[in-house]
Parts: sequence; C-alpha cells; structure tokens
Amino acid sequence: MFSRFFSRVGLLATPFLAMIMVGCSKADLTVRQSTLDPKGPVAQAQYDVFMATVWLVVVLFVLVGGLLVFAVIKFRSRPGDENKPAIVEDGHGNPLVEIGLITASIGALVIIAIPTLSAIWYDDDVPAEAVPTSKLSAWYPRVEGTRENYAKTVEGQVLEIDAIGKQWWFRFEYPQLGLTNDAKHSVPNEFVIPKGVAIRINLRSEDVIHSFWIPKIAGKVDLVPGRKNHMWIQADQVGHYYGQCAEFCGDSHAYMLFRVEVVEPAEFAKWVQRQKADAAPVAAGTKADQGKTLFAAKSCVMCHNIGGHYGAGAFAPDLTHVASRKSLAGAWLDNRNYDAQRALEQKTGNTEASVEVDPATLKANFKKWIGSSGVSTGPDGKPTKDVKPGNRMHYYKMFNVAGLNETNQKFTDDELDALAEYLLTLK
Amino acid sequence: MSHDSHHAPVACKTELAPERSDLGLIRPDRATGWTDWLTTVDHKKIGILYGAFAMFFFLVGGVEALAIRTQLARPDNDFITARMYNQLFTMHGTTMIFLGVMPLSAAFFNFLVPLQIGARDVAFPRLNAFSLWTFVFGAFVLNASWLFEFAHLAGWFNSFEWHKALVYTDFAPANGWFSYAPLSGTFGQNGQALRFTGVGTDFWIIGIQILGVASLAASFNFICTIINMRAKGMTMMRLPVFTWMTLVTAVLIILAFPAITVALIELMFDRAFGANFFNPSSGGQPILWQHLFWIFGHPEVYILVLPAMGIVSEVLPTFTGKSLFGYPIIVFSGAVIGFLGFAVWSHHMFTTGLGPVPTAAFSLLTMAIAVPTGVKIFNWLGTIWGGRIRFTPPMVLALGFIWMFMCGGFSGVMHSSAPADSQQQDSYFVIAHFHYVLLGGVLLGLMAGLYFWFPKIFGRMPNATIAYVASGMVILGFNLAFGPMHYLGLAGMPRRTHTYHAGNGWETWNLVATIGAYVLGLGVLLAFANLFWTAFRGKKCSNDPWDGRTLEWSLPSPVPEYNFAQAPVIGARDAYFEHKHGTKRIGAENDGGDAGVHMPSQSWMPLLASSGFLLAGFGMPMMAMGIPHAGWIVIAGLGVLFLGIWLWALEGPGGYMLKTPVNQGSPAPTEAAAR
Repeated sequence: MFSRFFSRVGLLATPFLAMIMVGCSKADLTVRQSTLDPKGPVAQAQYDVFMATVWLVVVLFVLVGGLLVFAVIKFRSRPGDENKPAIVEDGHGNPLVEIGLITASIGALVIIAIPTLSAIWYDDDVPAEAVPTSKLSAWYPRVEGTRENYAKTVEGQVLEIDAIGKQWWFRFEYPQLGLTNDAKHSVPNEFVIPKGVAIRINLRSEDVIHSFWIPKIAGKVDLVPGRKNHMWIQADQVGHYYGQCAEFCGDSHAYMLFRVEVVEPAEFAKWVQRQKADAAPVAAGTKADQGKTLFAAKSCVMCHNIGGHYGAGAFAPDLTHVASRKSLAGAWLDNRNYDAQRALEQKTGNTEASVEVDPATLKANFKKWIGSSGVSTGPDGKPTKDVKPGNRMHYYKMFNVAGLNETNQKFTDDELDALAEYLLTLK
Repeated sequence: MSHDSHHAPVACKTELAPERSDLGLIRPDRATGWTDWLTTVDHKKIGILYGAFAMFFFLVGGVEALAIRTQLARPDNDFITARMYNQLFTMHGTTMIFLGVMPLSAAFFNFLVPLQIGARDVAFPRLNAFSLWTFVFGAFVLNASWLFEFAHLAGWFNSFEWHKALVYTDFAPANGWFSYAPLSGTFGQNGQALRFTGVGTDFWIIGIQILGVASLAASFNFICTIINMRAKGMTMMRLPVFTWMTLVTAVLIILAFPAITVALIELMFDRAFGANFFNPSSGGQPILWQHLFWIFGHPEVYILVLPAMGIVSEVLPTFTGKSLFGYPIIVFSGAVIGFLGFAVWSHHMFTTGLGPVPTAAFSLLTMAIAVPTGVKIFNWLGTIWGGRIRFTPPMVLALGFIWMFMCGGFSGVMHSSAPADSQQQDSYFVIAHFHYVLLGGVLLGLMAGLYFWFPKIFGRMPNATIAYVASGMVILGFNLAFGPMHYLGLAGMPRRTHTYHAGNGWETWNLVATIGAYVLGLGVLLAFANLFWTAFRGKKCSNDPWDGRTLEWSLPSPVPEYNFAQAPVIGARDAYFEHKHGTKRIGAENDGGDAGVHMPSQSWMPLLASSGFLLAGFGMPMMAMGIPHAGWIVIAGLGVLFLGIWLWALEGPGGYMLKTPVNQGSPAPTEAAAR
C-alpha cells in the first residue's frame, strides 16, 4: 500500500519536474521589466545581494530537503513493524544537535547579512565618488543668458529629478535645469537621463501612495504624500527602459506605467533644449487649427499646458511635446508600431532597443484615449470602455470645475479627428 | 433564585423543567435542533460551527481567487473590470485570512484545547458563543458589501438621491486587505474628508473591527482556559504542542489586535467625521497607518501559521511512533517566533524610505526570525528520523506542510535582505512567497488537522483514497499555480494589477499559474466534499484509530457533551500513548460518586449581543452612503449589544447535573497511578 503510494507520487512528480526543466529554459531573464538583467550600479548591487541569497538557499534546500526526503524514505514503516513494541525508543531530543543546528543557521545568515548591510547603505544615496562625474552646466540650455552664473551655483551638484506620482501617471521635473511644472516645462511620464551619470530622484506624491520602479535600473522606493523620499539611479547602457508603479493606488493601478530613455550626455543636452522650446504655431484654417480651437472649447485647456498655445493648465500632463513621446495614457498605450518593435527586440536580443514613434499608431491612440470616456458611445450604442477607468480626464465629479461636464466632453468623430491632428503637431 | 431542581443528576437535559433567568426569562436549556445549535455553549459544537463557517468562506475566497486567475490567464483580458478585480483581490485576502484560516484555527482551538488539557469546557462558555456569533456577523457584514455591489451594478440604486450624490461607487471594498491610507482614507483640508474610495472601504473597516472583537474575546477565553482549566498533573511542560501553540497564538492576538483596532478607529474617524490622522493635506501621516497596520499585520502571519505548526507537531509523532524531538525547544521556538514577530513589522515597509539604519535593523531581525523557524523544521526532521512512518492522509498532508513551508521560508530569507527586497516588494515573487507559507503551509497543515481529528469529531473515518487524490491535486496544483510566480515577480510583474500587456514575457507563466489554480481549487473542493460526506455518511471508526498520543483519543467518538466522565489526572507528556503501551499514566479524580457532571446552561444572550454588531455594521456604511437617518441604525445596534450584555449578566449561574456512565472503558480511577 505504502510503496504503491510512493510510486504514485513518483508518477506525479516526474512530469512536473520535466515541466520545471522545460520551463526554466523558456524563462527569459532579459524581458522588459526583468530584475535579473541589471543595467546600472544600483540594480547591480541589488542583484548581487539577491544572488547571494539564492546560492545560500539552494545549498540549504539541497541539505535540508535532501535530508527530509531521505528520512521519509528510510524511516517508512515496513511489513513486520506491527510486531515490534509500539513505543519507538528515542531520546526525546539532543541538546548538542539542537545547539549545533542553531549555530549553523546563524552562521548561514551572517553570510547574507554582510552584503545586505553594505548594499543598504550603498543604495541609499548617490555615493560621494559619483558626484564629480555630473556636469550640470553642460546640460543647462544655452538659450538662458544666465548660464555662466547659474553654472557656478550648481556645478558639482548631483543631477536631481523630481518624480511626482499622481493617479495614474508620473510627472518629472528637473529643477536644476529649469524643467518644472511652475515654469510650464514639466515632463510627463517618459523622462530622459544621460548615460553613466548618477542621478538623485526626489520622490513626491500629490494624492495616494505610489512606488517608483524601473527593474533594470533600480529597485523600488515609494512616493508617499507628505513625505520626502529619495533614491538614486544610474544607467550604464543607452536605451529605452520600462518602469511601473508598484504600490496599489486605485482603480487603474495596472495602467500606471512609465518609461525612461537613457541617452548619451551630449544628446541629453539637446533634449533639454528641445523640452524648453514652445510648440510650433499651427497654420490657420487647417484641420489642426480646428483641433486647437476644440482644445479650448472642450475644456482640455483647464488642466493641460501647451507651451506657446495654452498656458493655464498645471494639473494634467504637459502636452507641449506630446507627439514626441513613445507612449500615452500613463504609458499604457504604446505609440510605436507593435510589430516593428517586436521585430527589433528579437533582432537585437534586448528590450532596450526601440523604434521611433509611428504617427498612425499615435493618432489612433489619441482618438482611443480621448474618445474612451464613459460618456462617449461606441458604434453599438453602448458606452465605450475607458482606457483607464476612473481617470481624471473624464471624471468631472472629482473636482467641481465649471465647464467640465458630461455634455461638454462628448466628441463627434470629426471633432476627435481634428483634436488628434492638432496634438500630432506637438512634436 | 434557587436551582434545587438541578441537584438531582439526570441522564438527559430534556428531562428537566425549563430554567428561568433572574429576570424570569426562560433559558433555552432543554432545546434541541436549531435552537440548540444557536444557543449552544458547548465548546465542541461551537468548534464544529466555527469549522463549517470557515470552510464555507474558504470556498468563497477560493472562487474569488479563481476569478482573479481567470482574468490574468491571458494579457489584456477583460473578463472582469479593473474595479471588480481590485474588489476581488481585496476580498480574497481579507476572506482567506479573517474568515478562512483564523476561524478554522479557532475551530481546532475550540474542539481540541479542552479535550487535550482534560477539561470539561472552556473557561467562559457563553463568551465562547459570543465570539462565534460575532465572527459570523462580522463575516456577514464584510460579505454583504458584495450584495450592495451587485445591486449597484444591476442599477437598483439609480433612482435614489443619495446614490446620485456619490462620487465613488465601489460598494465592495477595493482598498486591498492592507488598506493603505490615504487611498483608503481622506484628502482635502478643513475637515472636508474627500475620499479616494467608496463605501466598500467603510464595510471593510467595520467588518474587520467586528472580527477583531470576536478574536480578542476568544483569545482571552483560551488563555484563561489553558492556564486555569488544566487537569491535575497536566503541567505546562506536559501540554500537547498544539495547545501550546494555541496559547502563543492567543497571546499574539491579544497584543496585536489592539494596534489594528486603534488604526481602524482612526481611519473610521477620518472618513466619517473628518479627523485627520492619515490625511496628508491636513498634516496627517499616511505612514502611521502602515506602522499600525503591520505591527498588527506581521504578528498576524504567525497567528495564522502557529496553529498549523501545532497541528503538524501532533500529527508527526503520532505517525512516526516517536515522541516529538526536542519538545522544550519546539515550544520555546514557538514563543520566540511569537515574540520576534513583533519586531519585524517594518520589513513590509522596506520601500517606504525608512532610512538605512531602521532598514538594516529590520533586515537583521527578519533574518533572526528564520532561526526559530528553522529550529522547528529541524525538530520535525528529528521526529521523523529513526521513526516508523505510517502513511495516512494526515501524515502525507503534514509532510507536504513541512516541504512547502520550508520553500516559503527560503523565499522569506530572500526578502529579509532589504536591497534584494526592493526588487521583490509588491511583485509576484511576494505572492509566491506568502502563498507557499499560507497555502502550502497553513492550508496543508489545517487540512492535515481536519483529516486527523475528523474521526474524533464525528466518529467517522474519511475515505483515504479520495483524500490522497485530493491531497495530490492540492499539492500539484498549488506548485503549478505559485511556483511560476517566483519567475513572474523576478520578471517584474507587480501585484494587484488587473491586467498586463503582451510583450512583457509574462504570458506563458500566467497561463500555467491559472491552470494550476484550477487544479488546486478542484483539489480543495474534493477534499472538503470528502469531509462533508464523512460527517454524515462516513464509515464509523474506533475511538482511537491512529494510535493517538494525547488525551482526546482516550475519549469516545463522538465525544460526549461532558467530555470526561471523571476528571483525569495526568502523569506524563503524551500520557495516553504511554498509558496504552507502557506505564499507566492516566488516573482519575475522585469527584464525589453519583453527583454527576455540572453542565452550563445554554443562552440566547451571546447571539443577541452579537446581533447588535450586525446592525451597527450595516449602519456605518449606510451612513457613509448618505442614506438618511442611517446613523440611528448604528445607535440601535449598539443598544442591542448593551441590552444583550445586560440580560446576559442577569441570567444567573444556571447549570444542571448530568449523570455519566460509570467507567466507560476508562482506566481505574486512582490518582496514585498518575504520579
């Protein structure tokens, strides 16, 4: 009976083990948000500690698990046992064995405690030796006449980026470079950093708790309202990286993604300059111009800023350069051609490679996103599904803003098209 | 009020005239059937009720889990909406912890502790009934939020003014079982108390609060029982390990629940009355909620796992024929785990920016707690070593427990390192870890307990073949569901996200996990169905089918309502086993010949008092919905609670004497034998 049971367990376990083997070979360790493919010193430090715990655990697993299996097989009851005395003689425990095992456990833990402690302090803030590598003045846009004076005040400082969490997107500001919300130059949801430079991220939240996580660059730190958290990051390889909010933050938590583009330092200077430029004027009488009017008429202007066109909004993502970004709607909608991107990833063998924005995809995304309000109706007459349920763009009940109401937010297909055409001009 | 009529012992309670309380109300003493179950103060019946409700809610939580897994089976799925998903994972966690595992553990506490210590009931039988019904009503309030949610989705509320005024319309809680402020709390200044979530959160707050009352009352009861009601000779170091773990768990509940009680009251005040404990825009501290929650929440983990460890520590010696290896160290390490459990709460908050010193301290303390946990595993191994293992369904489940718990412990060691944890926190790696501990560990442990003690509870033996098949399905399905989540977490998939894009490399393993979850679900259903069948129609078995070691196996199955015909006197640890096979270790007290056993009277009052919580529990969320005059329901509920307690206090001592059959196969009643 009992050996039959064992053979059954064996029969069950064999395909299972085979599946694990096949599975491991299928488990890709370089996927977009892999924690096992570090591309910067912070993620690397975390990965190294993790691997220390893995090896320790593997050793313990083999030892303890092996003993357990051995004991269960060796000490199973056998035919004839029922004739033996019922009470198995035993010593009720052995203090030497106990103390030995406790000491060994403590020793094993010390092995991981030491790298843990050193990594905790290393990950906490930008290391002193990393500071001189940042040359802020090089990136400060030349259009500002005050560049030389400013350079003196920030030279030698660490580049700081403020990451502000909101339901359900991130706003990024570069206060030392003049890219802030107050200056109408904030960077929504897709930020850019120079390669090989240590950067301090100041983490703030304007509503609930979020968490900032770019697995390939650094582990997460929370954005807690009313609390000033920070972390530091550095990316040693150029590319397009994927991040995601990791703290449950309400209805659309799953849609709160973000991106970071790592570029060469010289490229970074150009990018900063572009960010500070206003949007190009729209030719009168075009469809885009019609969209520009709609942007005000439909109350978009109350929350969104478009440098050079509309300057009132400070609450919602800055749209001055919206058409240059590779993602939309908290990075849930990807503005690149999906097939081209997959093909490139497969060709290069990494997920950091990225194709450029595809205007057709971008336009479709604009229409999908703006038209997805709970008050719009699809061809079947039913309300269309929100791209991001509960998002503030259509959730007029949240803030008693005059002009923001159900009727105002209805779009005809033509209006939607005009609005999308307008937004496409905002490179 | 005299109780003369009860002085003559009777063979059955129905032979007596109804008793009246000091106010002249008739007590339901002589009742049978439904009334008997509703008013019972018998720890065994209360235990069975606890178990039945817990297993029901296990299945409810399981259905919620399967809905979650169905949604995640493929990328960009829209099987359920984002909000429904959030509600499901909130209720899945809350249900499994508070309505599944804790009450199932309580079922074992109730049924076993008095039997294992040689007592006739718990210290406060009516308080015990109060705990049970408070738990049932708390569970009902929590789950009633689903009824409101479905009514809302069906549009039944649309014509009401209060419904039109609601900004958020989630009626079932969508705040997570951890319910972090300010998502669960408020924002805005000057007492505006604007919210991020709807009345579901109010249901959750009041529901957990009520369940806390039930847990606290039960814990006081068990501490008093274990300390004071032990039979003669049952010293603390002769207590069965399960009873020891019950004691440690009860102490943990007493120390941990006040923290969550305070936190919930603060959150409730924030939401209902515009207080600003956690409101950041008015100077409140969201992080305070996390500290209060986790200083409860981490000991809660040990509240869930220690009873299962106790069960396994009973099952292993029984089926190896050996005494537990290192009994004092197992007991001591259980207590150390309980103690250290209060010193590691911030490892749930490694990513909140505590600063390096606290992070390092909590990192090291978390590693330290692995030592007593490891000790338990080593000692279970020591118990198996040199034994003669008999494979039975409870033994197989107990071995499964050790294996799965060990795996969960290993991923726990990985978390203890804060830098590694900053990549794992809130990812599927964490889900894998705690399901290995709480499902592979606790559920297998509790199932081992169910299959182990079912013959004692009902006198019937569950079908072994079905039990093996079910256990196999549970273990296989479980590993299939949660093994791949280790990879998903390390591949960067965050928890609590209702969907994900194709292209992240998470598709295959999510599908595998979903298939595993269904196998697991069917396995649990089969295991429970087997037990359900056994309870009514199973094959009758002997009083001691496993060759048990502890006192409960010396009693007839099912156990008579008075437990021990004569109060036992104990002469050793594992007294019954030695008594059977070696020296006589169990005697009996000479308690006065034919006087009979004193039985407590039944009562409606615990049920009445608890039902006050039901009213108040409905009133608070209705008040938050803006339903006119709902506040009066809360006040009425509290009124009923106080009325119930008042009538309870005036019931008088009650009780009657029950004749017991003399010497029901129990050993010669000499105290000397036990010494």
